[in-house]
Amino acid sequence: MPGIPGTLGFLASQGAWALAYNTGLTLARSLAGFLVGFAAALALGFAYTLGPLARETVRALNTILQSISVLIWVVVLVMIFGVLSPIPPVLVAALVSLPILLAAVVSGLEASSRRLAELASMLGASRGAYYRDFLLPSLAPPLAGATRSALGAALRISVVAEAFGSSGGIGYMIANYYNLAEPRGVFAWGLVLVALMIALDKGVLEPLEGRAARWSVEA
Amino acid sequence: MERRGLALEARGVSKSYSGRPVLVAVDLEARWGEVVAIVGPNGAGKTTLLRILAGLEEPDSGTVRLHGRALMVFQENLLLPWKRLGDNILLGLRYARVPRGEARERLEWASRLLGLEGYLDKYPWQVSGGTARKAAIARILVLDPDILLLDEPLAGLDVSTRRSLMEGLVSVARGRGKAVVVVDHSVDSVARYADRLYILSQPPGRVVAVVDLAGVPPGERPGRVYRELERIASGVPREGGGA
Repeated sequence: MPGIPGTLGFLASQGAWALAYNTGLTLARSLAGFLVGFAAALALGFAYTLGPLARETVRALNTILQSISVLIWVVVLVMIFGVLSPIPPVLVAALVSLPILLAAVVSGLEASSRRLAELASMLGASRGAYYRDFLLPSLAPPLAGATRSALGAALRISVVAEAFGSSGGIGYMIANYYNLAEPRGVFAWGLVLVALMIALDKGVLEPLEGRAARWSVEA
Repeated sequence: MERRGLALEARGVSKSYSGRPVLVAVDLEARWGEVVAIVGPNGAGKTTLLRILAGLEEPDSGTVRLHGRALMVFQENLLLPWKRLGDNILLGLRYARVPRGEARERLEWASRLLGLEGYLDKYPWQVSGGTARKAAIARILVLDPDILLLDEPLAGLDVSTRRSLMEGLVSVARGRGKAVVVVDHSVDSVARYADRLYILSQPPGRVVAVVDLAGVPPGERPGRVYRELERIASGVPREGGGA
């Protein structure tokens, strides 16, 4: 096993361009997948408000999504899109984020008071205004907490997808050095992933969650 | 133009939930320029009655006639915590596409009336419960409803805030000819300000007394109401009959 100096030395030998390129690639794929999952969760949340049948369908879909192993998604998507396609890491990140975000949207909608809908109607808000001014902002606190978990999961899982089939990214680099029997490379790129996750969590997601949570303090 | 006569009338209103009666044959009326208070114990159906008057629920039997637009202030403030108080108050005016200058004038009028100046740029979580309650009332007041229905607006407020709030509501009723209906569980809080007091019984709610307080000096009003309550408790018929 390589020691800390060996790992850090190997990391430095990778060069700034390789570090920036592969880290950026993984981050971009994870973010793209997260955004697809976020949009899908909001769309399904909208469907959830349409009636009892839609509500049950969304609940059933979420249960199914939560029960499918990530490994199955990775293998199936690599089989469909090919080893070198950038789509599997993005889609896997989306499929992993979606149930986490959807659960937050659904719980936020269920917690949203019936009185709030009555108030919106009393103030003369159209359906669109109700969603824009009342419902969507009220989902911010649960969604901010879920974003923290979902983006973290998206990042971890897209790395796995990159390892299975991709031509770049942190996961690809880890798999590549594993195949070359170079443990320093595996550890060095593992360290990059951990650093990226901590920076993202502490630098962006935690402050975002704190900012959104202040809204949940009702006067 | 000064309006006369009834602003709202409810006749024989009854309501049950899952077979459990909540309100039984309630008659109630409010005239233009009046403050009417509905007082009763917890579970007497006060909120249900107000929701029926506001058109948010249908009675099982009985009729409600409104002679103007009625808007209700809920017991919960329901201020949007992501908007400043001023923006919360302006929300309904924005939906009604009221011109900006007029909306600003209405905002200034309501904030002066309820003592909200200096708080309009604060978020709901930055102000006290009393200020938030006033903002929730102002949000409905600026829409200029003919009939204002308030569900326990005084709950949890200190004495001076209660007084200033009730004085503001009285000036809306008298000065602008509105009908104001206030629900509360305490006679003391509203008796000094109401023109008429409807007292509901223990659940299911029935009107057990209607106490006319118009013309009675404010200091004597609570005493008048308590004498009426004692009369009801002892089963003595009212002198001269009537409401």
